[in-house]
Amino acid sequence: MSTLNNPWFVFLAQTASAQAKSLGYETKIFDSQNNTATETDNFENAIAAGYGAILFNPTDANGSVVNVNKAKAAGVAVFCMDREVNSTTGPTSQILSDSYSGCVNLGKYFVKQMHKKGKYVEILGIVADNNTWNRSKGFHSVVDYYPGLQMVAQQSADFDRNKGLEVMESILQAHPDIDGVFCGNDAMAMGAYQALAAAGKANKVKVMGFDGAEDAIQGIKDGKILGTAMQFPKVMAQTAANYADEYFKGKRDFPKKIQVGVEMVTGKNVSDYIAYGKKN
Amino acid sequence: MKKGIKYAIWIIIIVFVGYNSVYFRKLSELKATEKTFNAPAYAQDLLNNKLPAVTEKAITLDELITQLKVSPANTFAENGHVLSIGSTKFFMVKGTGTIVDIDDSDVKLSTIAHNELQIATEYVFGNAIRDASGLVNLNDFTNTIDLSNISSEVNKIIRAKVIPPFKSAAKKGDKVEFTGAIELNQAHLNLSDIEMLPVSLKIIP
Repeated sequence: MSTLNNPWFVFLAQTASAQAKSLGYETKIFDSQNNTATETDNFENAIAAGYGAILFNPTDANGSVVNVNKAKAAGVAVFCMDREVNSTTGPTSQILSDSYSGCVNLGKYFVKQMHKKGKYVEILGIVADNNTWNRSKGFHSVVDYYPGLQMVAQQSADFDRNKGLEVMESILQAHPDIDGVFCGNDAMAMGAYQALAAAGKANKVKVMGFDGAEDAIQGIKDGKILGTAMQFPKVMAQTAANYADEYFKGKRDFPKKIQVGVEMVTGKNVSDYIAYGKKN
Repeated sequence: MKKGIKYAIWIIIIVFVGYNSVYFRKLSELKATEKTFNAPAYAQDLLNNKLPAVTEKAITLDELITQLKVSPANTFAENGHVLSIGSTKFFMVKGTGTIVDIDDSDVKLSTIAHNELQIATEYVFGNAIRDASGLVNLNDFTNTIDLSNISSEVNKIIRAKVIPPFKSAAKKGDKVEFTGAIELNQAHLNLSDIEMLPVSLKIIP
């Protein structure tokens, strides 16, 4: 996993591990701590320990390709979960959320809630992660059609809650009169909300996130967060583990990429959802 | 002397082979020759040449709603299309309805069977038309941005060519023939709040 410092990735890892164990396999979770060099060490250890497949959440879409290729050369299948690497030949399959389409819907909702006008801020995720740009591009593919909506600041907070808080605090110094914030994940959205609350602006500024994390779902119920896009890490993790099982049994014709649909969660339908998935 | 001639010949051979083995090209020239996906052309071809056959055979909205009430799982399986996995699918539909309301972002119709339909006239975004067509194959594209650009370009054409003449002429009480794409979620099926991205709209005199 890219990191275990975010409960969303902890859920992804534990779900994948549980599914693999239920299929009869021995598993181990490695934490790359958002560091490609640590990820390289983890790959080397996994290959040396004789693991036959790696369910992989990359740290860097380009930088992680060399690790995938090393595993492939050692005969170890790699199934990417949630984040992709920029290689069509390295991974056996990549199981990803349709982040772009999810953020098109987020963008539509944001424009409607903002009544097509106002100043907003975008807080981006890790810049080396393709998800950051898929989400941003999806959002802007809608919002940029509305000249009344003005992006006054765009900055990365690395998908981290504390950094999201710091970046929001800093942006508020220069732009105290914003009306909305779009964050590339829920952790940053919760951090941004904290900063806005401390500044006495939480009731005025609309905050949107992405992921469907537990605190964001509760935040929507409490009226703190406007909306999020629910990913389905359980589907991604279980699909990856099932694919690995099929690989060990001889299957080789996997789709190079699979997209898992993402669903909008707002105050109107939040009762249909729980953290990381659907109620029923 | 002989050695000298030998070395000279070898040098000539090496230089000749080396010269013909290494090529320098400007990066800008190389980029110009790389194939890039032409999303606008793809979208135009999809809408003008391929989609009419799909909309011709599309299920009517009224029939789709009837089938969904009786057998949602089968109806989703037989009529819905989507490029991703999950509970959401897209359906190409057609039908006739009467305009009952017009606002900034939608025109609301009541169909022959008295089902309500909102025709999106403002927020024409998303993958509904691309996916509902059933014509786009995920595995034909290695780059997901190209896939997303198809939707983007299709919607641009709809917003520019289909919506404006309809919006300027439409008034309450008008009868409308429509084709378009709708999105439904099998896990949270809501048949009373359906919004359609239009492919064609015709006010019937």
